[in-house]
Amino acid sequence: MHPDCKKIRHDILIASRASGHGHIPTSFSIVEMLYATYRSMKHDPANPRSPDRDIFILSKGHGALGLYCVLANAGYFPVEEVNTFGAYLSKYGCHPDRRKVPGVEASTGSLGHGIGIAVGMALAFKLQRSPRRVFTLIGDGEANEGSTWEAIMVAVNVGLPNLTILLDFNKSQVRSLQIPNPAERLKAFGCDVHDVGGHDVAELLAALQAPARGVKAIVANTIKGYGCRTMEENIFEWHRKSPDAAQYDALLRELDAEGAAA
Amino acid sequence: MRRQFKDTVTDLAGHDDRVVVILGDISHYLFSAFQEKHPSRFYNMGICENALISVSAGLSAQGFHPFVHTIAPFITERSLEQIKLDMCYNEFGGNILSCGSSFDYAWDGATHHCYGDLAILRLLPGMEVIQPGSRQELDVLLRSQYNNGRPTYFKLSDHPHAIDVDVRFGKGVVIKDAASPLTVVTAGPLLANVLEACKDLSVNVLYFPTIKPIDKELIARYRDTRFLVVHDGFGLREAINEVPGLNTAYHGVPDAFCVWYGTVHDIRREIGLDPAGIHSVVQQAAASRR
Repeated sequence: MHPDCKKIRHDILIASRASGHGHIPTSFSIVEMLYATYRSMKHDPANPRSPDRDIFILSKGHGALGLYCVLANAGYFPVEEVNTFGAYLSKYGCHPDRRKVPGVEASTGSLGHGIGIAVGMALAFKLQRSPRRVFTLIGDGEANEGSTWEAIMVAVNVGLPNLTILLDFNKSQVRSLQIPNPAERLKAFGCDVHDVGGHDVAELLAALQAPARGVKAIVANTIKGYGCRTMEENIFEWHRKSPDAAQYDALLRELDAEGAAA
Repeated sequence: MRRQFKDTVTDLAGHDDRVVVILGDISHYLFSAFQEKHPSRFYNMGICENALISVSAGLSAQGFHPFVHTIAPFITERSLEQIKLDMCYNEFGGNILSCGSSFDYAWDGATHHCYGDLAILRLLPGMEVIQPGSRQELDVLLRSQYNNGRPTYFKLSDHPHAIDVDVRFGKGVVIKDAASPLTVVTAGPLLANVLEACKDLSVNVLYFPTIKPIDKELIARYRDTRFLVVHDGFGLREAINEVPGLNTAYHGVPDAFCVWYGTVHDIRREIGLDPAGIHSVVQQAAASRR
């Protein structure tokens, strides 16, 4: 595990323990994707509204805790602030609010919305002949939503090589409507698909930095709860749970052991 | 009214390179000259109303003024959550212009009718809700609102009235003040039938091209009268009642789908919104005591 990504997972556990709010497994699932994306983007944590910045939209908004810790790690705000996650009058809600959190470009939470906004922004940059790029991260559960595929069809049809869709393929939908082969489907919809290991920062960076041949879709094969075996093996129990003191210690030990093994 | 939409937006696009037209595969032919003139700012994007709104929100977020257009029920009721979240909650603006009004497509049945758009959209924080009644009203209100960064809904009809009304955004209009204890309230193209129905009746007539924000000041001036809302949709009566303590009655769309086919005039007659039907209801209301 990349040391920065391990640190971010530590921060996620700390904030979840401090705040009593969860969504840890989905956040663990996307740490490397977020980390690699922000490493590839043009952005300035000291000036979150800089006019030439690239855009990232977390379409699966329930990964907010992961996003906050990645933004904090990048320098947007002190990571201690995230310990107020979900608390009354905190900036850091369990779904991100663009009006409150520096670096958040769209308020999301209801699935299948952020990707459409991302398509609109990418179209705007195309019309402006701007080199700015747009990245959006969707979940495989979110790929159940028809509006997700509407947005993809429009993006491909209008031609947006400045748009990258990252799909967190963590198989979280096995108990309902799991799309078994998202890479094939995205290809069939006309995307330039990269099928990569979702916890391998180098592989993600290579896909993110590969020259765009149309709308890029990166299918990141991930493990929900990656880094803590307890969560990997009990994704439904842990979906939105916050650890108690004993669980917290155990999860930290698992995370550290995972790091040592890697 | 759609022709006016095309004329106004074509003129605006000539001066403002942030104007973008997004169609849901309707009125395409109408915009062929626009497309020729501004090919990069014209998208017949497809029959995907959720995406039309989300994409418009994204364009707006980056400084454009989108005009998104398709049939009323599809762009408002089907895409209500996109309007609520992507435009209102995110504070990304945009102009939504529907066609078909409540039942312009009478012959198509209830799938193509929309009685609830004004009512549901006025519930969304930050939303502006407009029902222009004539081409001129549409022109005035489009020009005044299109670039204010807020989400704005325009309910368009193919059957505008031909009455000359001086409209301003957010303002109601006194069409007739008879110092009567009964005030008839309407909006949109139905004004023609309401005026025709009330021409020999001693009642006040108020007209509200803007449903949200409603002109509470004007309503309050008539608060000591009884209100009769005559409207071919829901939402106006609810808006009027933002002023507390009013005595309001409603004559308009029943709690049923208007599925008799024919034309808009047939449906209006069927539900008592033709001049004769309105006349009879207003006369009865004027005669009755509080």
